[in-house]
Amino acid sequence: MKAWLHSVRVLIWKDLVQEWRSRDILTSMLAFAVLSLFIFNYALELSPINRADIAPGIVWVVMVFAGTLGLNRSFTAEQDQGCFEGLIMAVPDLSAIYFAKLLTNLLMMVFLAVLVIPIYSVLYNQSLFNWAFFGVLALGSWGYSAAGTLIASMTVQTRMRDLLLPVLLFPLLLPVNMAVVKSCGVLLGSVAGQDINGWLNLLLVYDVIVTMLSIMVFEYVIQE
Amino acid sequence: MLSVLAFLLVLFAFICMLFFTPVEQTMGLVQKVFYFHMSAAWVGMLAFLVAAVFGLLYLSRRDMKWDTLTAASVEVGLLFTVICILSGMIWARPIWNTWWTWDPRLTTVTIMAFTYIAFILLRRGVDNPTRRARFSAVYALIGFISVPLTFFSARLLRTIHPVVFGGGEADMNLNPQMLATLFISLVAFTVLYAVLLLQRARLMAQQDKLNQQVAVTDDSYDWGE
Repeated sequence: MKAWLHSVRVLIWKDLVQEWRSRDILTSMLAFAVLSLFIFNYALELSPINRADIAPGIVWVVMVFAGTLGLNRSFTAEQDQGCFEGLIMAVPDLSAIYFAKLLTNLLMMVFLAVLVIPIYSVLYNQSLFNWAFFGVLALGSWGYSAAGTLIASMTVQTRMRDLLLPVLLFPLLLPVNMAVVKSCGVLLGSVAGQDINGWLNLLLVYDVIVTMLSIMVFEYVIQE
Repeated sequence: MLSVLAFLLVLFAFICMLFFTPVEQTMGLVQKVFYFHMSAAWVGMLAFLVAAVFGLLYLSRRDMKWDTLTAASVEVGLLFTVICILSGMIWARPIWNTWWTWDPRLTTVTIMAFTYIAFILLRRGVDNPTRRARFSAVYALIGFISVPLTFFSARLLRTIHPVVFGGGEADMNLNPQMLATLFISLVAFTVLYAVLLLQRARLMAQQDKLNQQVAVTDDSYDWGE
């Protein structure tokens, strides 16, 4: 267990250092997210009245789309440099690789949320600073990264690569998308005070199930 | 033999649906689409469950037979899910006065269909057969999440889709003839599913065999594909 935790920590550190040195992924994700916010602005003709109602939807969709950029990249370094074999031999258990990638992707998503929320608040003059809202986004990001990391580990080995990731991933994300958007709508007060416990339960159950399932099947994805 | 049985059963269910069941009081003739609609929905979900089980079997046994069956089951299930969606739309047009509405049940069933369309795209994207088999099995397992979600969506969320069994007050009131016809169609479609599954798997296995033989005898074959 100690060796497992150690290798997870080292792997996360490796990915973060790698990202910090180039900053390729985070810059692209952020630029993409801000651009999407602008596209939404003129596509939906956001007037101050209807703006409040769709804020959670827009923020989440922007995060999901920008997140695919990061997911697509999360295994390419290993695949292109042929490091997978080395990685497989280095860890005490293959689930450590999955877990480290999951946490790295989750960190990226949370970091993206930390940047997108203030940008949205400034651009649309509507404060989204709300801890519960941020918490739901983080829970959603967990489910997103859990499913996304597994799918990315497969698509990186296919012929179509980046093309295939959203097609495979988005149908699986339906419960996350529903739960995040519905519960955030209530939290931000655009929908009259409904009970959101059901949605949060769905989100938690999804997160746990997908994480467990992915840990179980991950070895079949990366090992011949 | 099984194919003849399937043909006769579907024919029998069809005749029952036409002549045996009464015309529903408020909905009229269009309600009769319900028997095949629900049977198709049942077979679709059953096929995806079977695909997940075959996927699991492949991962534990590593026998290509299970991979072929997984892919065949998904294809047949997808066919029946599309039949289910289309027949539902035919029913919804006069009853809900629209072809489509963003109801939880309709949304989840369509996303379920997209999950398995993605499954087929994934298979097309992988050339190495064993890798394709591993990925298919994994995706059949994780994609199965969408099936219980679809099944329970009409029961747990607020929806206008009717619940046939176990819906409490919202239960549909089916008279004995209707119930009998429903069960006959369910059985008929299940047998039809088994036939299609086996035939599709046989065809896939033969295709693989043919491709291998062609690859052995003729190296220049690849660019034709």
